[in-house]
Amino acid sequence: MTQDQMSGRDGEKRVGTRNIIEARDVEKWFGDFQALRGITMSVKEREVVVIMGPSGSGKSTFIRTINRLEEHDKGTIIVDGVELNNDLKNLEKIRSEVGMVFQQFNLFPHLTVERNITLALSHVRHFKKADAHDMAMRLLERVGIPEQVDKYPAQLSGGQQQRVAIARALAMQPKIMLFDEPTSALDPEMIHEVLDVMRELAETGMTMIVVTHEMGFAREAADRFFFFDEGVIVEEGTPEHFFTNPQEERTKLFLSQIL
Amino acid sequence: MTVAGFQIPDRRVAWRWARENLFDGSWNTALTVGMVVLIGVALYGVGNFVFASAEWEAITANRKLFFIGAYPRDEAWRIWAVIYVLAGLGGLSWALWSRISPLLAIGGAIAMIPVFVFMAHGEVALLTLGSLAAFGGGYAFGKTPALSGRYRNTARTVAVFLWIASLPFSWVLLDGVPTRLWGGLLLTMVLTVFGITIAFPFGVLLALGRASTFPVIRLFCVGFIEIVRGVPLITILFMAFFLLPLAIGPERTILFGIPVTGVDTATVQRALAGIVIFAAAYLAEIVRGGLQAVPRGQTEAAKALGLNTFHILGFIVLPQALRAVIPALVGQFISLFKDTSLVLVLALTDLLGAARQVSAQPDFIGRQAETLLFIALIYWIVAFNMSRASQQIEKNLGVGER
Ligand SMILES: Nc1ncnc2c1ncn2[C@@H]1O[C@H](COP(=O)(O)OP(=O)(O)O)[C@@H](O)[C@H]1O
Ligand SMILES: [Mg+2]
Repeated sequence: MTQDQMSGRDGEKRVGTRNIIEARDVEKWFGDFQALRGITMSVKEREVVVIMGPSGSGKSTFIRTINRLEEHDKGTIIVDGVELNNDLKNLEKIRSEVGMVFQQFNLFPHLTVERNITLALSHVRHFKKADAHDMAMRLLERVGIPEQVDKYPAQLSGGQQQRVAIARALAMQPKIMLFDEPTSALDPEMIHEVLDVMRELAETGMTMIVVTHEMGFAREAADRFFFFDEGVIVEEGTPEHFFTNPQEERTKLFLSQIL
Repeated sequence: MTVAGFQIPDRRVAWRWARENLFDGSWNTALTVGMVVLIGVALYGVGNFVFASAEWEAITANRKLFFIGAYPRDEAWRIWAVIYVLAGLGGLSWALWSRISPLLAIGGAIAMIPVFVFMAHGEVALLTLGSLAAFGGGYAFGKTPALSGRYRNTARTVAVFLWIASLPFSWVLLDGVPTRLWGGLLLTMVLTVFGITIAFPFGVLLALGRASTFPVIRLFCVGFIEIVRGVPLITILFMAFFLLPLAIGPERTILFGIPVTGVDTATVQRALAGIVIFAAAYLAEIVRGGLQAVPRGQTEAAKALGLNTFHILGFIVLPQALRAVIPALVGQFISLFKDTSLVLVLALTDLLGAARQVSAQPDFIGRQAETLLFIALIYWIVAFNMSRASQQIEKNLGVGER
């Protein structure tokens, strides 16, 4: 840890030196269509990476290759020292160490909030019932909705559902969290409650890859910034670089459209 | 007059409605009058038959045949034992998952009156009362503070296991009498309940196999489902009767705890095998619909948590898929209940077979109308209650659904 360099605008969080995710020349086809055309990206421990880019540029596809919801066709992906490929014996174990939050929340509608959070704890981590319950309560307090523990997802607002989804992912105590446009399906007044939780998570040193178009969040929380288009990384750099001095025409055009 | 948004038509409104809809113009007036006369004649005919010209002797003299066929009277305690166990379990489960509203209790009690007036006399009446008591006892037990409070979840789990265990238990108990003597409503219920419950797991496996990524498995499942669905049940029954012994051999063979073949006693088992094959294919298609109704995001979220394939199926996909298709499953159950009457072609005496036997008895020759009306009533009572039960189950499970 002594080797760690200071980083982040506030200078409180320390980004590690070790690459916890290493993707090299990752390519992915859907039939004849090539969705990823050579993505190379490494992410350090405790680093927060934001990915932006137009719709269809391959952002979702890329982060889904990191927990192997999509299998890549070429290149290498190493997550926490384990290379992802078809020989992998213990895919479930790797997945349980990478949390994911989806645009559509994907909570389990037939289970209570508590069961949503504890299901994998019981069956993947083999927690005792009482311990799993304690963990669920702790996480619900952290995301600010402990009183919703016995409700069903349909009884919650969108913002509350997404916070439960974050709690559910955090319950597995993942080393990495992936966020795929976590606020895009939310009404404007609920966006900030989810972003607050994510910001707090970033401050505690979670390694995060976040696909988002929320500029405020990116500016405050991101250590590094990637711009995707048509399956390639067009530009990468610090947030300052993007907001003050983007180099590529496509980046400039995109930023001018969403700012 | 409006109460909570509902229009309560008073006499004036009703009259205006009739005038605008039934008597607007001479053609509609003629139609209305004509229909009223027709309905009146039909009602009079049925009423006259039911209350005046029908010889209900044909039914009352053959109560045993209708309900249990040739099952010996001395062995009827086996059936009663099964009924008592199921009634107790039914009461218990009802208490554990829901409650009986006073209205339903009163309605049920009133509905039982004709049973005692027309059907159950003497010891049968006592035994029927006893089974109602078993139901009530099970219900009361389920509503004790311990079971409805602290131990509710444990009790529910135990109840589910008891239900599963009640199937082989019932079969073994009933099997003290050779199956060729089973008949009437007993046989119909046995074929339906065992048919559906044995077919159900196969249906689920076939549906999952059809969605499998292994071509061999998928091809086998698609082939099985499509071939069976393309053949009438009556053909499958004949095939089960004639081909199954060739396939499995003439010795007594045990399949799923049920002896399937073995000389002449096995007709019921062979019919059951045919019904299972038939029902499995249809259930598979229903379950497939349910599987498709579960959004892909559900599986992805479960995978992302590190749950394995079996956990995902058991905890996430199947519960949602099956819940979505409860109405279709019950519909299949009801239609199978009625379709079992086709076992008549294998010379089995199910409910319909009993009706035909009665109208061939010297005393009651040609009394088809009475016997058919009677079994139609029984079919309807059972089917109606199944459909009500399915609505209840749906309501109970519906908590928190989208
Ligand atoms: N399962 C799939 N089958 C076929 N094409 C897909 C699939 N998933 C994504 N794509 C295509 O890949 C491209 C990238 O998609 P995606 O990664 O979802 O983009 P983004 O998240 O940046 O909007 C799109 O053109 C999309 O249509
Ligand atoms: Mg996307």
